[in-house]
Order: sequence, then C-alpha cells, then structure tokens
Amino acid sequence: MKRLFPVPHVIGFASSLLLSLIALVVIKFDLTFAMGMTILGVTALVQAGLQLFLFMHVSENEDKKTLFTNIGYALFVGLVTIFGTLFAMMWGYNMG
Amino acid sequence: MKIDHSLPLEYSTEENKLKILGFWIFLGAEIVLFSTLFAVYFTLQGNFADGPSASQIFELTPVMIETILLLTSSFTIGLGIHAMRIGSKKAMMTFFGITLLLGLGFLGVEITEFVTYVHEGATMQTSAFLSGLFTLLGTHGAHVTFGLLWGGAILYQVKKRGLTPETANKSFIFSLYWHFLDVVWIFIFSFVYLKGMM
Repeated sequence: MKRLFPVPHVIGFASSLLLSLIALVVIKFDLTFAMGMTILGVTALVQAGLQLFLFMHVSENEDKKTLFTNIGYALFVGLVTIFGTLFAMMWGYNMG
Repeated sequence: MKIDHSLPLEYSTEENKLKILGFWIFLGAEIVLFSTLFAVYFTLQGNFADGPSASQIFELTPVMIETILLLTSSFTIGLGIHAMRIGSKKAMMTFFGITLLLGLGFLGVEITEFVTYVHEGATMQTSAFLSGLFTLLGTHGAHVTFGLLWGGAILYQVKKRGLTPETANKSFIFSLYWHFLDVVWIFIFSFVYLKGMM
C-alpha cells in the first residue's frame, strides 16, 4: 500500500492545498491591490510549477530542450497576448 | 516495433516518445488558447452593464469545493501513473477511476454554480463581464467534460488490453492533459474568483 503513495507526490499534494489556502488571505484581509496580486501571482506560479515538474515529469523527457523551448514560447505568446491586450484595451487607452 | 525496456512503457518506443512530445506541443497551443480567453475576461470584467459584478455573484464555498476536487484529482492521476510504472494495473485503474469521479464531481458543482448564476439573472447575454466569464469557465468545463469521456475510453482499453506500450502511452498523455486542466483551474481560481472577491 505504502509504495502506491510516493512521498514526493503526497508532499506535492499537501503543498498545493496549502498554497490554495494561503491565497485566501487576499479575500480575508484588506490588502492593497498590488499586494493581493503579488500573493496570487506567487501562489499560482508555485502551484503550476509543482504540477509541471512533479506530476507532469516535464524534465524526464529526452527531448527536454525542444519541450522547454516550446512551453517557453507558448508562455511568451500567452503573456504578450494578455498584457498586450490589457495595454492596448485598458491601460494605454485610459492614458489618452 | 523496437521496445526499449530500460524506459517506462509509455516512452518505450520511438513512436511513443514522439507522441508525448507532440502532446506537449499541443499543450503549448492550449496555453495560448486560454491566454486569449483570460485576456478577454480581464478586459471586460469591469463592464457589467445592468447585471451583477464579480463580487456580487462569486461565492467562496462552491469555488473551494471545485478547487479541492480538481487538486485531489490531479494528485490521484499522478498516483495512477506511478502505479502504472510499478506495473500495478489494478491500482492504476483504481486511481484513474477515482480521478474521473472527482472530475465528475467538479463538473457537477460547476454546473450547479452556472444554474445559480442564471437564476440570479446573470446570463451570458447580461453583460460583457458575464460573456467573458462564461466563455472562460465554459471552455475549461468543456475540456473537463471531454477529459471524462477520453479517460473513460482509456480505462476501458487498459481493462481489455492490459498495460502495453500503447495503452501506457495513452494513459500518460491523458495524465498530462488532466494536470494541465488543473493548472488552468489554479489560474481561474486565483485571477478570476479570488481577484473578483478581493
């Protein structure tokens, strides 16, 4: 039974639950917008990292370089899409 | 077909390795797909017309239940792949089954949540905010629904054929998909729900 529950997986799972609870501070306490966003950003990224490296075994792949280049490129395009949209539609527009 | 026994079954042939790499490339496209939907939501979230705003309709309890169900399902499918690697077909199938049940539970809570919104007068047509919200959540929910069908089909194949390089490869690729949906949910949980309730 024990060998079906490897320790890294159990720790990873506990950490992801804990990180979700930590993220709740943004609604339980009256934080500034910047502070709240920072906490959410950090907890979400750590959780995504846990999934990627621990559960998805991203670094065990033989084509690691191709894979990281591809995921890196996708994240780049995604972030440019999100922040580019916000810049063009919200921030830049409001600046007049 | 050359089988390399030094590697886990899912990586054991050239074709298997390429399929896993190909699936990662697909996930790259999925990252971009969800990014566009997040961009739309962030742009429109302040435009709630005569309808309710985010803080008026979001409720913490169902969201926390959804989060815990999905995080747990991501854990159990990870255990399923681990069981597959130590060659335990029975444990692998049990963990995959639990994963799909948790996914079904998630979907049930999400559908209930959507129905509640609609009863409160918050439909997709009410405001730009709600159009963006339903599109983002709905696309994620549709992925989970598809995952349930896909996962069910894989369980059936493993039951019939056992753990072969082919079924192990399919199961592993499905686990990547499922973990990816969990990652997307983490961002929805943080930047849609918690941010909306701040």
